[in-house]
Amino acid sequence: MSHIALQDIAKSFGPVRVLDGCSVAVNKGTVMTLLGPSGCGKTTLLRTLAGFVEPDGGRVVVGGRDITDLPPNRRQVGYVFQSYALFPHLDVAANVAYGLRVRRVGQAETQARVRKALDLVSLSAFADRYPARLSGGQQQRVAIARALVLEPEVLLLDEPFNALDAKLRLSMQIELRKLIERVGITSIFVTHDQQEAMTLSDRVAVMRAGRIEQVGAPIDIYDRPRTAYVAAFIGRANVLPIDIRGGRVAIDPAIAAARADGAAWLVVRPENLAIENAGEGPGWHGTVAFATPQGATIEYEIAISLAEPLRVVALRKVGEPPAAVGSPVRVRAIDPAACVVLEEGPDGV
Amino acid sequence: MSSAPLLRRILHGRGIWPAVPALAYLFVFLALPMLTLLAFGFVTIDRGRIVADTWTLGYLKAALADDLVWRLMWRSFWVAAVSSVLTLLLAYPVAYLFAEAKGIWRTLILVAVVSPLLTSALVRAYAWIVILGGRRGLVNQTLLSLGLIEQPLRILNTDWAVLIGMTQIHLPFMILPLLAVLAERDRRLEEASLNLGASQTGTFFRVVVPMSVPAIFAGLALVFAVSYTNFIVPQLLGGGSYSTLAVQVYEQTIVVLDWTRGAVLATILLSTCFAFVLAIVAFGNRLARWNEAAA
Repeated sequence: MSHIALQDIAKSFGPVRVLDGCSVAVNKGTVMTLLGPSGCGKTTLLRTLAGFVEPDGGRVVVGGRDITDLPPNRRQVGYVFQSYALFPHLDVAANVAYGLRVRRVGQAETQARVRKALDLVSLSAFADRYPARLSGGQQQRVAIARALVLEPEVLLLDEPFNALDAKLRLSMQIELRKLIERVGITSIFVTHDQQEAMTLSDRVAVMRAGRIEQVGAPIDIYDRPRTAYVAAFIGRANVLPIDIRGGRVAIDPAIAAARADGAAWLVVRPENLAIENAGEGPGWHGTVAFATPQGATIEYEIAISLAEPLRVVALRKVGEPPAAVGSPVRVRAIDPAACVVLEEGPDGV
Repeated sequence: MSSAPLLRRILHGRGIWPAVPALAYLFVFLALPMLTLLAFGFVTIDRGRIVADTWTLGYLKAALADDLVWRLMWRSFWVAAVSSVLTLLLAYPVAYLFAEAKGIWRTLILVAVVSPLLTSALVRAYAWIVILGGRRGLVNQTLLSLGLIEQPLRILNTDWAVLIGMTQIHLPFMILPLLAVLAERDRRLEEASLNLGASQTGTFFRVVVPMSVPAIFAGLALVFAVSYTNFIVPQLLGGGSYSTLAVQVYEQTIVVLDWTRGAVLATILLSTCFAFVLAIVAFGNRLARWNEAAA
C-alpha cells in the first residue's frame, strides 16, 4: 500500500484553478518528484500535503490516516522550504532544536538529538552560528536537519536546490539522495529541472496546468512519454506529424505503429536519429541548417518541410568534420522500436 | 588651499564626506544654539548679561544636591517608562492588524495612525481634559449615567491622566516602526514554525515577536525620549501642582525667568534622557544580536 496518497486534490485561488483533480501515490521509503514548469501547481500540491493549503476537494492520506482536516502543526510532515526559512534569530542548534522545544522534550534528550541530526548533515562544527553566517548549501542542510530531527513520517522538499549555484547543485543533489537513502524516509520533491528529477527520484510525476500528466520511473517516462508535452519536458525530443499506413509510419516504414491509418505524431529523441547521404529512400529529407560540435557529440539542426527543424545528436569521431551546412541529407531513426507514436501532438492538436 | 578639493570630496568622496553639508547644517542650527543654551547653566547672568569669567559647576552641583530635582527626575522617568510600555502593548495589535489587512484597509489604518500627528499635541492634550475632566467629562458622564459609579472618578490631575495622555499622543511613534517590520516579515518563517509543531500562539511569541525586537526597541527609545521630555501633557493633564523635570525646565525658563536654573535642569534632562535612550538601544541590540549577523 502506498505511504502517501493524494486523492483527487482540487484547489482554486479566486478564479484560477491551480489544482484540477491531482492524484499521486508514493510508496514507503521511495522518493517521488513532482516535475513541471512554474505555475503548474506542483508547489501548491506539496503545500496541501503539509497543510499550508486547504484543498477545495480531495483527500490527503499519510500512513493510512486521513489528515486532510488536520492543521499543519499536527501533521508529522517534514518540510524544507525553497528559501529554507531558517529562523534568523536562532543559531543553528536552536533552529534544529525548535520542534523539540515546542514539544517540550527534555533538555538532555534535545541536546542529544540535535547533535545527532547535525552529525547527519555534517554541520556539528557550526552549531552556534546564526543562519546569516552560513553558505546556501549549509543553510539547506540545517533546514533538512531541522525537519529530520523530529523523525517525521515523510519529508517534503520545495525546489531545495534553486537557491544554490550550479556547481554546488549537483554535488548537493547526490549528497541529499544518499542522505535520504540512509534515513529511508518517504520523500516528495518539487522541481522544474528534469535533470534534478532524474538524479533524485525513484518515480516522477510530470504535472501540467494543475493535472498529473504521467507518473513513472524517470527512465520509463523518458523512453515512453505518454504525451508530446511529457516528451518535450523530459529530455529533448522531436515531435513530428506523420501518416500511418498499414500499421507503419509512412515516411519510414521501419517504424511500426499499432494504430489505425491516418494522421498521428511521432516522438523521436535526437540521439536516436542518424544522418545519411541524400538520395531516394525512407526518412526525412532536408538540408543541414546548423552544426555544433560539442566534444563527444555533434548537434545538428536539419531543415525539413516543417516549421521546426529536426534535432539530431550524432557521436563525433576525432578528426571528422561535421556535415557541411547547406548539404542535402536524409535522416532516419536508428532504433525504430525506441520511437513513440502518439495520437495527439503538442498542445492537444 | 582652494575650496575645489573640498567640494570634490563632498560631491564624489567616500565615507563621511558626502554628509559634511548636513553635518554643518546640524552644527550651526542645532548643536550650536543648544550648546549656547546649556552654557547658560555654567555662567552667572546678571540683568540679562553674562558676567565675564564666572564659569562654574556650582549651579549644576547645587541642582544635583537638591532632593526635589531627583524626585522630579524619578517621576519623569517612571511616567516615560510606563507610558512607553503601555504604548507598545497598544501599538502591537494595531501594527499586526495592519500587516494582516489588505488593500483599502491598510490605507485606512495608516491614515488613522498618522492623522493625529497633523493636530498639535497641545490640542490633543486639551481634548483629553474634555474627555477625562470633572463631572461633565465624557468618561464620568457615561459611567454616571450607566449607574456604574455614584461619585465622579478623579482622573484628571492625577498620574493616570498624564499616563493616558502621553500614551495616546505618542502612540504613532511606536506603531510606525512596528508597521514596517511586521508588514514586510517573511511569512514562510511562521509556516516553518507551524510545520515544526508550534501552535499559532506559540509561533507568535517564538517567531513573530522575537523577529520584531529591533522595531520594538526603536519604538521604545523613541517614545521614551519624547515622553521623558514632554512638558505639555504633565502640565495640562497633571494639574497646576504636578511637575516633572521637563515641566521645571519650562517654568524656570519661561515663567520664573531663571535662565541659569532652567539651563542646568535642561542639561540634566538632556543628558539623562540620552543615557536612558542609549541603555534602551543597547539592551535591544543585545536581545537582537542575530540582527548584526544578518546585516
